[in-house]
Amino acid sequence: MIRRSVLALALALGAAPLAAAPADIAEAVIDRHVLPGFARFEAAAADLQAAAEADCDPGSDPLRAAWGAAFDAWLGVSHLRLGPTETDNRAFALAFWPDPRGMTPKALAGLIAEADPVVESQAGFATVSVAARGFYALEYLLYDPQFTPPTPYGCALIRAETRDIHALAAAILADWQDGYADLMRQPGPEAPYKDEREVLKALFTALHEGLQVDVDLRLGRPLGTFERPRPTRAESWRSGRSLHNVTVTLTALRDLAMLMAAEDPASAAALSADFDRADRLAADLDDPVFAGVATPQGRLRVEILQQAIHEIAEETRASLGPALGVAAGFNSRDGD
Amino acid sequence: MTDRRSFLAGALAASLSPRIGWADAGSPAFLSAAQEKNGNQMLVGLDAQGAERFRLPLPQRGHAAAAHPIRPEATAFARRPGTFALVIDCREGRVTAVLDAPEGRHFYGHGAYSADGRYMYTPENDYDAARGVIGVWDTEAGYLRVGEFDSHGIGPHDIKLMPDGKSFVIANGGIETHPDSGRAKLNIPFMEPNLAYLGAEGTLLETVAPPAEWHMNSIRHLALGPGGTVAFAMQWEGPEAEAPPLLGLHRRGAAPVWLDAPGAEHAAMQGYAGSVAISQDGAEAAISSPRGGRVHVFDIAGARFAGAIEARDVCGLAPAAGGGFVATTGTGDVLGLQGLRPVWTARHGRAFDNHLVTVGAA
Repeated sequence: MIRRSVLALALALGAAPLAAAPADIAEAVIDRHVLPGFARFEAAAADLQAAAEADCDPGSDPLRAAWGAAFDAWLGVSHLRLGPTETDNRAFALAFWPDPRGMTPKALAGLIAEADPVVESQAGFATVSVAARGFYALEYLLYDPQFTPPTPYGCALIRAETRDIHALAAAILADWQDGYADLMRQPGPEAPYKDEREVLKALFTALHEGLQVDVDLRLGRPLGTFERPRPTRAESWRSGRSLHNVTVTLTALRDLAMLMAAEDPASAAALSADFDRADRLAADLDDPVFAGVATPQGRLRVEILQQAIHEIAEETRASLGPALGVAAGFNSRDGD
Repeated sequence: MTDRRSFLAGALAASLSPRIGWADAGSPAFLSAAQEKNGNQMLVGLDAQGAERFRLPLPQRGHAAAAHPIRPEATAFARRPGTFALVIDCREGRVTAVLDAPEGRHFYGHGAYSADGRYMYTPENDYDAARGVIGVWDTEAGYLRVGEFDSHGIGPHDIKLMPDGKSFVIANGGIETHPDSGRAKLNIPFMEPNLAYLGAEGTLLETVAPPAEWHMNSIRHLALGPGGTVAFAMQWEGPEAEAPPLLGLHRRGAAPVWLDAPGAEHAAMQGYAGSVAISQDGAEAAISSPRGGRVHVFDIAGARFAGAIEARDVCGLAPAAGGGFVATTGTGDVLGLQGLRPVWTARHGRAFDNHLVTVGAA
């Protein structure tokens, strides 16, 4: 029993603000989460481009599979909204969602109606509205009956989309490898990150906001209100990926959370249990596109998953943030 | 029926009631929403030196308040996406009316009274249509909703009455949100903020927008200077490294002026200005950044940066009597700022929320 209480004491002490070097945590996140994640994304995007070159038929299984794999790889890094993803609106060009005004199908229909030659060059396509680019635009082209009948222009458009996605993925990876990772590793008074706390804060914000995207958008949008559920607002319902996307992002966010909690066993244990619970709820949900939100029972199950992810977000804010020394102030936390 | 006593009572009421003013509520100079240590939400009245004059409970976290120009009456707005606002008699400490946002709407946390105090104007989100609306409420009919007009933009956040007493200036932040998605921003790549001037009936008089490359600079908060100078504070939604100026100055019919501090000092604001104020003499404008923990002061006539004052989690800002500014922080400080430094501090055991509202100003 004495051993156990010593252990408990050690755990309790572990919950106090850590003395361990924040640089080690940042280093681990960059080397084991950020850089490998963007490298995987670049590779998957290259495969997608190759698949479209080989077969641009919207019904092509290899093409659809490559799109799904590249989308998964993007979701694995989509929470890392800093630096290279923000340059030139790259993250929006890869993933313009939600689309409350239905701009994506309108923009695609516009390109098709005019047979816009902008698809002929990569530089040209990079000037197209972000609403007509990226994974969600490609989902329309591969899965929506309005766009799936094969046409020569549709083929050129799909190839332009995949080439564009790969170019964006390559540019983001290059920027991380050739500069941004070092900026985060070497904070300084004249640098964008003044000290290690600012680096940790940026990574912590990415974790917290990533969780919030699942809560507010991936689950919040289809849930709507009890009186007015909105199943067709679910993300990627055309390809049947709505729940899958939540699962993929949870895996990536857990990876980041565990690296950030490496020096804080109490937070790590609590977060691990929270992620386990959310994963289990997602696995048991059996509602791939959240169609169940339209029924009281189905809705409740989606709400329970949403609440479970909300609890992870709260746990990060209440324990991990303070332990890392990046707890935000009353006004700076979520200003208005 | 009219005996002497009731006649007298009536005469007294008639002669006295118009004189009931802010002096009867302890003559606060400022109002602020605040969170007490125990988590309770309050509307707090502060004197010119930051001491508490009154505190009144709020049912949930507040954002900003509007002070009636004559009566000791304040409307306290819940934080976005709140759907109600409370009208509080600050003398008696009771709620005298509740403003409920119409179905399908929420408030943004700000509102303004007309010059004579007859009407209250509230920026609102018509969220299914993603349309900004200004609601009109008659304060003399128990804050009955009597009309509304288009804000001419998405996300109308702040509103001020112009010195002519007939027109308004509105900060249309440009960001689409929907309560189903919490506070998530839904249209960042396509946002188009503007400053809109409207006539009393909602006629559009003039709009001012940031240049195209700054379309992600959300115009959020407003301050009015003597002579009709409008200062507007912005929040940058684009890449942090590219953060453009966070303060704009405008006069009707003229081109806007964009102001920022040099280099690293500007970067320290982290692309975020939370509040804005113009000094009483109209010489200086200030913006606060709780994220950067600093206030930036600018010389209006010279259109240049004057200096920075560091203060942790600072957000609320208002002009101080006789020059300079008063600032509030989430750590409970009320700071008197003069000559680019804090000259006095009043410490409270509470977290002051985003905005410090001047009593007796539009």
